[in-house]
Amino acid sequence: IPGVSSGCQGGCLTCSDYNGCLSCKPRLFIFLERNGMRQIGVCLPSCPSGFYGTRSPDRNTCTKCRPECDSCFNKNLCMRCRAGYYLHLGKCQESCPESLVCSDTQRECVPKCPV
Amino acid sequence: ALRAVIKVTLLKNEPTGKPITLEGLFVGGSAGSAEGKLMQSHPLSLCNTSEDERQESDFISIVKLESPERKVPQCLPLLHKARLALERGAQAVIFDVTDDVNAKFQLPESDSLLRPVVLMQAADAEMLMELVNRNEEARVRIDIKREDPKWPHYD
Repeated sequence: IPGVSSGCQGGCLTCSDYNGCLSCKPRLFIFLERNGMRQIGVCLPSCPSGFYGTRSPDRNTCTKCRPECDSCFNKNLCMRCRAGYYLHLGKCQESCPESLVCSDTQRECVPKCPV
Repeated sequence: ALRAVIKVTLLKNEPTGKPITLEGLFVGGSAGSAEGKLMQSHPLSLCNTSEDERQESDFISIVKLESPERKVPQCLPLLHKARLALERGAQAVIFDVTDDVNAKFQLPESDSLLRPVVLMQAADAEMLMELVNRNEEARVRIDIKREDPKWPHYD
């Protein structure tokens, strides 16, 4: 395949020595991996934690979750919040509504214990 | 176009290390001085759909542009990519245009570039990219190259 240099990792469709993967084989996601001062493209079957996958006709990309979210399904649906935030209706908040309490272990807003 | 002088000092050699001096060309309207840590940006990182993590300190982005045959999705015109990199906090942007000689035509004179954008190529660009490839942290200082005044020839 033109453009595929020997340095191509598995999953790359095209790549270069300096930028790593430039495009991926079908169904794979391109993730821009930061390592010190370098940033290279890698092709993955799914995006790493802290990122979510977006599919489109020309390429599938990994995009960062919101800053307060550790793991998300997409930009607006968090699955696990960062420490100090609490999940409520898919969003990470610094406090919980009246009827709920903040659970630090689960990092979620949870129902109050029955008295 | 004004020429840029790029002085590169490896962090491991600071403060005594002698800088490497390279040259480039400012994109019209962006000439000026800048300094920061060299950080590579993948060409796809400068698309609207992706966000590069906010770097903690002053940094200068270097982007290796690929040959058009590689069919890297363009996602944004180069001028917009340069603007996006500056908006994300880069003190300056360096484009290695060795493999994309037409890139300069995508970067016309512009007053919308608030900080320096420099085109580098060939040996100078390769020297810089080799540092990146070896992950050798470096500080870069960009200045306008002072051309020596050409004295008229007296007999």
